[in-house]
Amino acid sequence: MSAADFQQLVARQYAPLYRFALSLSKSEADAADLTQQTFFLWASKGGQLRDRSKAKSWLFTTLYREFLSRRRHEVRFPNVELDDAREDETSILPNVNAFDGVSILQALQEVDEPFRAPLTLFYLEQFSYREIADLLDVPIGTVMSRLSRGKAQLRRRLLSQQEIADQKIVSFQPEKPRESHG
Amino acid sequence: MDNREAKFILNAYRPNGQDADDPRFSEALEQVRRDPMLERWFSESIAFDAAMTEKLRAMEMPPHLRENILAGARVSRPLRWSKPFIKWAIAAAVILTTVVGSVIWYSGRPVRLAGWQSAALDVISSLVKNESSFDAQSRNTADLLAWLRANHAPAAQKLPDNLGKLESVGCKTFSWNGIPVSVICFTRPDGGLVHLVSANVPTSSARPPKTAPEFVRQSEWATATWREGDTTYMLALEGSRDQLRSYLL
Repeated sequence: MSAADFQQLVARQYAPLYRFALSLSKSEADAADLTQQTFFLWASKGGQLRDRSKAKSWLFTTLYREFLSRRRHEVRFPNVELDDAREDETSILPNVNAFDGVSILQALQEVDEPFRAPLTLFYLEQFSYREIADLLDVPIGTVMSRLSRGKAQLRRRLLSQQEIADQKIVSFQPEKPRESHG
Repeated sequence: MDNREAKFILNAYRPNGQDADDPRFSEALEQVRRDPMLERWFSESIAFDAAMTEKLRAMEMPPHLRENILAGARVSRPLRWSKPFIKWAIAAAVILTTVVGSVIWYSGRPVRLAGWQSAALDVISSLVKNESSFDAQSRNTADLLAWLRANHAPAAQKLPDNLGKLESVGCKTFSWNGIPVSVICFTRPDGGLVHLVSANVPTSSARPPKTAPEFVRQSEWATATWREGDTTYMLALEGSRDQLRSYLL
């Protein structure tokens, strides 16, 4: 790949890759490092990819595998119960437009990890459920389950943030002037 | 299809309408058209998803990230060989190691595992290293076996008693040359792991329906393989044959 082509690829994909990395790693420094590492791997191995239209999928898959690889010294088998009792849908949806990007990201980062990757891929890049299944190497049914449960968790997190924000708003009632006597 | 199931499916429907022609969504979308309550939920859900996408895409980038990526890629080019002698010495060492290693390997060839079994050990290693994730996780083995059966994956009808007493971690399925394979990982009391691999390996009808376990060691893996009916099982752990044998009882 020529230097010009590489620059174009970086220009197109570095931002969505970084956002994906940030949702996974919760740390800006780690996210930036993951993103850079992914492009370095592309620089050394991406030339083997025959179909250049798959570059985006290759980058996201590689970043996700790098993230998992770095986690192998941390908690083994993060505990997520099969518990196929699907998360109850909340009937009230939070008003997303009332939140800033930082709050949205914070809520997303609080979602259980197995749900966070498919959720981010769905929202950021609008990957289809099939593309997400290929990227994450899980069955389609698992992707749908994780999207469903992840969205339910996300909505509850945002509602919780919304409630906290509402409680902090205290209406200001100016004191009535005292009547003077005499 | 009830509304709960319709919502489950529609949670994967992208807000930009790209999935309108995907047959997987057609029944759920038909349900939306019929049911005003579901239709309201769906339109609110789509609006929520669209707003989420917009907010996340508006996230600011760290300053200079793109420049750092480009600069890093420029300095990461592979080094040139500056000392030809070193290059040739390394090449000679590789060739010599290959020749000697082949002689040793050929003279003491152990019984080898089948391709699907080696593939299963690779899958297990990947799970243990957190390089891949389980398809389903539960501490209750019965739940995992039910999940496997529901997903048409090989699943044991009955586990060896000592194995059945262990707490499970999760299961994963894959296909090797058209052979469906499933893996269930268990936690041992000593903190280690033991793994049951099940595969629907085609065999000739002349073979007995049940065989005694055959023990094979591959690298750090102790394995035992046996067959019951149409399913071939392999139990594997990183340890000794005696440790493995205890879970066959």
